[in-house]
Amino acid sequence: MGLDVLFKIAGVGILISVFHTALKQAGKEDMAHLCTLAGFAVVLLWVVQLLGKLFTTVQDVFKLF
Amino acid sequence: MWLKLVGSLFIIIAGSLLGFNVAARYAERPRQIRQLITCLASLKAYISYAAIPLPEALIACTGGAKGVISDFFLKTAAILTKCGWLTPQEAMEQALQVPGLVLEKAEVELLAVLGANLGAVDRIEQEKYLNMIHEQLQQLEIEAAQLSARNSKMYRYLGICGSLTIVILLV
Repeated sequence: MGLDVLFKIAGVGILISVFHTALKQAGKEDMAHLCTLAGFAVVLLWVVQLLGKLFTTVQDVFKLF
Repeated sequence: MWLKLVGSLFIIIAGSLLGFNVAARYAERPRQIRQLITCLASLKAYISYAAIPLPEALIACTGGAKGVISDFFLKTAAILTKCGWLTPQEAMEQALQVPGLVLEKAEVELLAVLGANLGAVDRIEQEKYLNMIHEQLQQLEIEAAQLSARNSKMYRYLGICGSLTIVILLV
C-alpha cells in the first residue's frame, strides 16, 4: 500500500488543525467544527477503503470463503 | 510527475491569490471609509462656508487626492455636470460603479441618504445631515476595522491551506 496514504492523512490533519485555529480566532467556532468534521470524513473515507482491503486480505489468507 | 507538480503549483498559487485578494478587500474597506469621512468633512466646509455649486464642491472636496473614493466623487461631479437633470442621489448611484470600490450596503445606504439631501435643503440642514453621516461613518469604520482585523488573517490562512488541501486530495 505504501506510505503515501499515511503522509496524506498526516497532511490533511495538519491543514485541518490550521483551518480550525484560523476559523476559531476569527470567531467562527461553528465553521471550525464543521471544517474539522469534513476533514475527519475525508480521512475516514480513505481509512474505510484500507480497512476493506484488509478484510479481503484476511479472507484470502485464511480462505474463509 | 512534472505535470502533477506544475498543476499543484498552479492550484496553490491560485488559492493563495484568492485568499489574499479577499483579505485585501477586508483591509481596504476601513481605509475607503476613512477617505470618505475626510472628503465629506471637506465637502461640509465647502457647502457651509464657500457655498460653491455642488459639482465644483465635489471636485474640490477630494483635494486633488488619488484613490477610489476621490474617483467616486469626481465621477459624481462629472455626471452632475454632464446630465444636469439628474438628482445628486441618482448621480451618486451611477458613480458607485467605479471599479475598486469595496463599500458595503450600510455605507451605500448612507451615501444614498446623503445624496437625497445634498442641495435639496438649506445650508444648516445639510450641515446637520453631514454631521450625522460623519458620526455613522465613524461607527462603521470602527466596525470595519474590527472585521478586517479578524477576517483578513483568516482568509489568508484559508487560501493557502485550502489550496494545499485540494492538492493533497487530488494527488
